[in-house]
Amino acid sequence: EISAWGSLVARRERNLRQLYPTGTSKVYGYVTNSKVKFVMVVDSSNTALRDNEIRSMFRKLHNSYTDVMCNPFYTPGDRIQSRAFDNMVTSMMIQVC
Amino acid sequence: MSRPAHQRPAYHKINKDLFVLTYGALVAQLCKDYEKDEDVNQYLDKMGYGIGTRLVEDFLARSCVGRCHSYSEITDIIAQVAFKMYLGITPSVTCNNSSRNEFSLILDKNPLVEFVEELPAGRSSLCYCNLLCGIIRGALEMVHLAADVTFLQDRLKGDSVTEIGITFLKKREEKKYRRKK
Repeated sequence: EISAWGSLVARRERNLRQLYPTGTSKVYGYVTNSKVKFVMVVDSSNTALRDNEIRSMFRKLHNSYTDVMCNPFYTPGDRIQSRAFDNMVTSMMIQVC
Repeated sequence: MSRPAHQRPAYHKINKDLFVLTYGALVAQLCKDYEKDEDVNQYLDKMGYGIGTRLVEDFLARSCVGRCHSYSEITDIIAQVAFKMYLGITPSVTCNNSSRNEFSLILDKNPLVEFVEELPAGRSSLCYCNLLCGIIRGALEMVHLAADVTFLQDRLKGDSVTEIGITFLKKREEKKYRRKK
């Protein structure tokens, strides 16, 4: 697992990579150049999701995460309790499920 | 670098995010330093006052506004010229009483609170943008107008709009009318 992340970080792009193709689900990882990691678990039965859609979902997550970081009352490392972030995640999930 | 003596230097654009984050850091630090919301609000107002007394010179030099003849004119200039110049927004103005010395600025957008969704727990009486009240109060005082400036409504506290109330305190001396006696 660590080596999978390591190779992701080593690539200069903030790439997404399928981490473990398992029987029931696919796991995608996205790491930023600030070493923040996002993980997405997708049910295997969902064959409609394409790579570029996953990539754009990660980008939306990254943008919303940046907004959360800009909240002066948010301490990095805290659990994210932002309504805007939750709304973005919910609307993304509704779109693909 | 030489320029004509009468010209104020042109504005250099900086990233608004840096400004907004700096303001947020200021408020967050005050919240760490002072337990009571009233203390934080008071210090924000004091800091704003210090800024306003200085900023008004810059404002008058850049805007070249003429002499105002009424409180309503002054409030309009604060909303349409000063807010536009320094924050890029134009609040709307309403007059709150018949003696025309109480006004409200209704802020539709407020760039300072862009990344703050709501006040943190335990900080429900915090006036996040109280610096603005101090700035207005300090600026008015430098042009010999005493005023009370407070937040009447705040979207961060759950109100539907953000409203700054300006109450002009003393009647301005109009010496030219006294001479008629």
